[in-house]
Amino acid sequence: MNGIHDLGGMHGFGPVVREKDEPVFHAEWERRTFGLLTATLALRRYNIDEFRHAIERMDPVRYLESSYYEHWLHALETLLIEKGVLTQQELNNRTAELAKGVS
Amino acid sequence: MLRPEQVEEAVKTGGSTRRPDDRITPRFKTGDAVRVRNRNPTGHTRLARYTRGKRGVIHHDHGVFIFPDTNAHGRGEKPQHVYSVRFEAAELWGEPTSLRDAVYIDLWEDYLEPA
Repeated sequence: MNGIHDLGGMHGFGPVVREKDEPVFHAEWERRTFGLLTATLALRRYNIDEFRHAIERMDPVRYLESSYYEHWLHALETLLIEKGVLTQQELNNRTAELAKGVS
Repeated sequence: MLRPEQVEEAVKTGGSTRRPDDRITPRFKTGDAVRVRNRNPTGHTRLARYTRGKRGVIHHDHGVFIFPDTNAHGRGEKPQHVYSVRFEAAELWGEPTSLRDAVYIDLWEDYLEPA
């Protein structure tokens, strides 16, 4: 892939900092992202390789600035829109509602 | 439909991409010297950048698996053997390096050519 993501990683980011007693999820949205991704994969909306490719296609700067589960969420949104499960407009509308505090 | 009782297994296995391997003859066997093809595809690949063009030795044949480079783009499963390939640290990282260190990387057959 001619992109920022490489399976083998890359040098230049310093040592890996280990978190003591690291939780499986750092926030509820991470747990939900894991569940949504797993469920949509199991439903064969897309395959694992399409999922990885969706992460690889991220904007390079955005990729480096965002966390592991943000990569997952980005891929989830990208694929659900590309596969016709959601529209960008539906996603935008729901995001705006949540930003206003509507649950 | 994903039923609740299926979830634990789905999470544990991630959905296997292994395929029956009795009909697909491996091109390489343990001990064969190989070179990683210098491929830089515009699409998906599971070929680590730092192995491209490097020489290694087949350590183990894992069996047959779906080829990610085609499966990510709707171009079929193209099932093929996946090998654990041993690379000497000096081959990957140059000098100075430990002569005792080696890296084992899983690579699909299409990534490899005889060396």
